[in-house]
Amino acid sequence: MGAVTDDEVIRKRLLIDGDGAGDDRRINLLVKSFIKWCNSGSQEEGYTQYQRMLSTLSQCEFSMGKTLLVYDMNLREMENYEKIYKEIECSIAGAHEKIAECKKQILQAKRIRKNRQEYDALAKVIQHHPDRHETLKELEALGKELEHLSHIKESVEDKLELRRKQFHVLLSTIHELQQTLENDEKLSEVEEAQEASMETDPKP
Amino acid sequence: MERAVPLAVPLGQAEVFQALQRLHMTIFSQSVSPCGKFLAAGNNYGQIAVFSLSAALSSEAKEESKKPVVTFQAHDGPVYSMVSTDRHLLSAGDGEVKAWLWVEMLKKPPYRTSLEVPEINALLLIPKENSLLLAGGDCQLHVMDLETGTFTRALRGHTDYIHCLALRERSPEVLSGGEDGAVRLWDLRNSKEVQTIEVYKHEECSRPHNGRWIGCLATDSDWMVCGGGPALTLWHLRSSTPTTIFPMRAPQKHVTFYQDLILSAGQGCCVNQWQLSGELKAQVPGSSPGLLSLSLNQQPTAPECKVLTAAGNSCRVDVFTNLGYRAFSLSF
Repeated sequence: MGAVTDDEVIRKRLLIDGDGAGDDRRINLLVKSFIKWCNSGSQEEGYTQYQRMLSTLSQCEFSMGKTLLVYDMNLREMENYEKIYKEIECSIAGAHEKIAECKKQILQAKRIRKNRQEYDALAKVIQHHPDRHETLKELEALGKELEHLSHIKESVEDKLELRRKQFHVLLSTIHELQQTLENDEKLSEVEEAQEASMETDPKP
Repeated sequence: MERAVPLAVPLGQAEVFQALQRLHMTIFSQSVSPCGKFLAAGNNYGQIAVFSLSAALSSEAKEESKKPVVTFQAHDGPVYSMVSTDRHLLSAGDGEVKAWLWVEMLKKPPYRTSLEVPEINALLLIPKENSLLLAGGDCQLHVMDLETGTFTRALRGHTDYIHCLALRERSPEVLSGGEDGAVRLWDLRNSKEVQTIEVYKHEECSRPHNGRWIGCLATDSDWMVCGGGPALTLWHLRSSTPTTIFPMRAPQKHVTFYQDLILSAGQGCCVNQWQLSGELKAQVPGSSPGLLSLSLNQQPTAPECKVLTAAGNSCRVDVFTNLGYRAFSLSF
């Protein structure tokens, strides 16, 4: 037990000593001068010594007051620091959340960018092919031309048929006429032969 | 790339051998663990290394965190492709597919199968059917059911070996691209080829001096990006028209959609970021002279390990925490 309290005393003394070597010495001097004053005899000396002791006492009180104020100040600084520390922790947590949020947004933005680029790539390919409306119009025009041409072809074919038929009629009539003429010639030849035989016959 | 075999290596030369091995290493494939905290990489010697992303990304990362947590010999030949399910890491090489449990990486694989497929270039998981699609050197896509391990179907149509696969989620279709220059769309329900896009026949994107091979495919349900011999092009699938051509001379070996960008990597050392309009947004250099695979760790269980990793013709895997710059490299 004795060793513990000794250590404590030594530690406390060493701690306090840093503040002001004067304070400790002053209290010791005060105690010594008080003892001297109690033992001194004369009135005047006693009075000056008393005054001196009072001034030392007030010096000690002053330094004690100062220390108390410093202690108060330290306490309040500590509170202040605690407050600032908590605020900073809050803002760190907030920043972490914001970072996570921003990361999500980045992923989303990347997805959007990828979709846009895919769209662009396809659009480029599509652009190479001609516009659908134009192609449809061209198709229509071609269809109409085709119809028109087929009409013309039909009418020409009809005409051809007609001419063919007419020629056919003409040729057949010519043939018939030829036939009739040949027949007539044959008939006339036969008649002449008959007449010739009739002339030889009546001479018996 | 033949595998160097140490015959009678005296002690002092072991380090030399290792250094030579690292110099000639090519990392073909990567895969992220289901928890999102680990990355597995497979190289041309058949080794798989598992890196801890959470350790490498933490603030106390040291040099050792950039080394693999565990490395083991998985296959005899190169590990061409890897894919992760909820619990397993499936790795495929020359004719065999092995499944490793993520939880116990060092034990013998609980499951393996072998096919006469010469090189399995691409693996694709179809979560709805719980099946795995393999495609590679024999020009066919094989569908394997993950529960029973049997091969249910084979989709035939390609005339040359297949490089890459992609899953179109909305209509359950699979796209495959290969050496014959055609991207074929297959409907899984009736196992038929739905659409064929012969990329090299379109004048805008074909580059005859590079060939007609399709090295990389990625799809976003309505859109598809493919590249390789022909230029890297964005296609609109429903109309089968090429909409945007990305002006990249070097053939690209891996491409993927990410948010509003398209990330691609290939013969140059850079990861290219394109906007859908065809503009190059950024070109971030990596540490390998050529890149073969990109992997985005988007597992929701580990949002702090959300990184892009790129690997290729070297023993290093570049890690990009922010798409703007390379943060650091993990190395075998």
